[in-house]
Amino acid sequence: MKTQYFSDVDETVITTTLSNGLRLQVVPRPAYHKSYAIMTTDYGSIDTQFAPDGKQMVTYPAGIAHFLEHKLFEKEDHDAFDLFGETGASANAFTSATKTSFLFSTTTQLTKNLQILLDFVQTPFFSKASVAKEQGIIGSEIQMYQDDPGWRGYAGLLENLFPNHPAHVDVAGTVASIAQITPEMLYTIHRVFYQPSNMTLIVVGNIDADAIMAFVAANQAAKQFPAPQAIVRGVHADLQTDDIVPYRQLEMPISRPKTLVGIKGQVAIPTTAEGWRYQLTIRLLLEVLFGDSSQLYQDWYDRGLIDDSFDFDFTNQRSFSYGLVGGDTDDPHALSDAIKHVLLNAATQPDLTRDRVALIKRASLGKYYAGLNGLNGVANQLSALSFGQASLFDFPEILSSITLADLQAVIDQVFQAKALTVLDMIPEAD
Amino acid sequence: MRKEMKPGVWLIVLPTTQFKTTRINVQFLAPLQRATVTKRTLLTSLLETNSAVYPTQAALSAHLESLYGANFSIGVAREGKLHRIGVTMSTVDDRFTDTPLLPQAAAFLRTILFEPNMQAGRFDEATFAREKENLDHYLASLDDDRQTQAALGVQQLYFGADQDQAIPSFGTREDLASLTASSLAAYYQEMMQHDQVVITVLGDVDPKQVAALFADWPLDARSQTVPAVAFDLPTHPDVLTQTTKVNAQQAKFDLAYHVETDLMGPKYAATLVAEELFGGSSLSLLFTNVREKASLAYYASSMFDAFRGLMLVQTGIEGKDRQQVADLIRDQLAAVVNGDFSDALLKAVKDGILDHQRAAYDSPRFLTNQALYQLLVPDAPQNFDEFAQRIKAVDRQAVQQAAADMKLQATYFLTGEDSE
Repeated sequence: MKTQYFSDVDETVITTTLSNGLRLQVVPRPAYHKSYAIMTTDYGSIDTQFAPDGKQMVTYPAGIAHFLEHKLFEKEDHDAFDLFGETGASANAFTSATKTSFLFSTTTQLTKNLQILLDFVQTPFFSKASVAKEQGIIGSEIQMYQDDPGWRGYAGLLENLFPNHPAHVDVAGTVASIAQITPEMLYTIHRVFYQPSNMTLIVVGNIDADAIMAFVAANQAAKQFPAPQAIVRGVHADLQTDDIVPYRQLEMPISRPKTLVGIKGQVAIPTTAEGWRYQLTIRLLLEVLFGDSSQLYQDWYDRGLIDDSFDFDFTNQRSFSYGLVGGDTDDPHALSDAIKHVLLNAATQPDLTRDRVALIKRASLGKYYAGLNGLNGVANQLSALSFGQASLFDFPEILSSITLADLQAVIDQVFQAKALTVLDMIPEAD
Repeated sequence: MRKEMKPGVWLIVLPTTQFKTTRINVQFLAPLQRATVTKRTLLTSLLETNSAVYPTQAALSAHLESLYGANFSIGVAREGKLHRIGVTMSTVDDRFTDTPLLPQAAAFLRTILFEPNMQAGRFDEATFAREKENLDHYLASLDDDRQTQAALGVQQLYFGADQDQAIPSFGTREDLASLTASSLAAYYQEMMQHDQVVITVLGDVDPKQVAALFADWPLDARSQTVPAVAFDLPTHPDVLTQTTKVNAQQAKFDLAYHVETDLMGPKYAATLVAEELFGGSSLSLLFTNVREKASLAYYASSMFDAFRGLMLVQTGIEGKDRQQVADLIRDQLAAVVNGDFSDALLKAVKDGILDHQRAAYDSPRFLTNQALYQLLVPDAPQNFDEFAQRIKAVDRQAVQQAAADMKLQATYFLTGEDSE
């Protein structure tokens, strides 16, 4: 067990790895009323290919990670959701491309809810009947997302960038793919990916750290787990640019056109502090170039080329990374051309100055501190970083080490013409 | 600390060391009127974009960045018969910065509110034209989100003749069209003279120092008219219905109910418990029986607006299932009316309400809002324990009575199907 105090942020983290491999992190917040716990497996929608026995590769239907997330709550004679509810706690779960998380928040009965969480996640029960019923619920969830233009644009962009990597597949799968899911597949996934050594548990809030540690250790010691098994995944890093679809246009029932410019990451980014620093450098660069204090933003906004829907981001996940820049506009071609021009001439942009980098870093530091007010956000960020070596509370130190030269150095690695794609969405003809 | 600095101008200071930020919130409160709602919304866009001191958006944003990325926003909201303009500025606590930010934040807000980007008695024409167009785009895009479209549709239907309540709290394209840079400047002066103003500061602050920061803000005394907040519509025996066909894969079916309530008193507590039991929580009958057991909806939930005596039910369904869903929703409300629920479920629902309320004390936004309600609503609970007592006092009979007083008044069906 390790206790670290981070004086820059006035936060304490207690970390331990239990004998079964489960990693546990606790952040006490004595002034708060709430506690928030999140249990995460390093398994998500892209992990459809794997070797259950460590040798023979199999391919499971798209959407199965999300399906399992839904199904895990339901047991033979009860629903774990109701157990949380009976204590007044709120529970939830979500699946991303590379992670599946289960969480709750409570103000009164932390250990009771921790036990419910650990027990329902680690005790699977899947039957034919319950799998069939879930296919109806998830089917309408998939439909709902199809009606959301923002989501369709984001999905369309990933299809352009990653045509040969499962990052382009919807987390929920398709109605056809989830119809193929069986209870046996779900048990297999649970055995391989929900083993304690592939999971982390984060608890943040008004808590006694020692008591929580002891409680979780006792809960785990009372259960039988097979010896940890190495996980063999079929998904590999996708850093190639020759398969990118350079342009597509979608017609949708929307009031105004949108355009998104995507940038495919060509460098594998490690889950270390250095890797996190690299991502922060790219995000700072995008903010320096496109942020709302830039001359460029002012010019585009005044010309009506963009409005405040204009946005940009950079995302790194296991095996793939990408950036995106775009928003609503009357003239999608003009906007995407302008964005591409800036990306491909980033080094000579007048906004890229030492002073401006210092200003954006100062703003970024303040936003980070403000983000630490909310326990859910803190726990979710800790969880996202929990499979690597970087610490959330090292942010001020990492940020302060980034220089203008660092921003200049990533331009050539990231902003290359061959790594770009454009997705336009236009209102459908009546 | 709460004090009336001048008639109609209040300062509330909430000292706490719980958070890493200091939050300033300035509310401008006026009677809700269709004639001013759209003006007020466009005004927030203009004030948020630039000012006399920061005449470009880039200059304004860069100043916020120099204040450690201070969060600054202006928004509008409806609270029963009131319309609120809320200005929020949130800065990092002094222990993390090389300079105290609160005085700079107060100074910034002062220039934003009292020195807008005006020339010769009118808003800067270029800024005005741009923000008017952007707001028009935004209002036109609301239907891109079908859930929003349906929720606004059912409220339009329910409030019908009362246009103040029927339109969205952020205005309409129709009302926007006629606004000009000079008519809006005139409204700005009116608002600055007549709106009730409530300034709240929350964080690791000294009330005396805070009072000094706002003492010389150029706000004149105004007639004290904290208006009555509660709005109520008479019920009618028939149910209004409307169907809208759109290009969408999933249908939306929303329902509006009239509820009997008081503001934060015993009726409110009973209605809140009944509503949570019926559809407001993940333990509710709607969630359990419509979504989970019958697999008939991806979402099915209710929300309760005590200030307007309204309960809304929103669902996402397949168009062909509309009648079945309508029947199931009716049955769930009947179950609450008939007391067809276990004591254990009632207790869990009440515990859930209390858990949410206690957790809300971890949110600077909630704490600021709470202080405002305590000013506006005489019966508002003063602390968690008062709130908890009222919820705990709600018994089975009170829940059944509250549910019996929920009267379906309007349904709105948004569908891509031709079957209906």
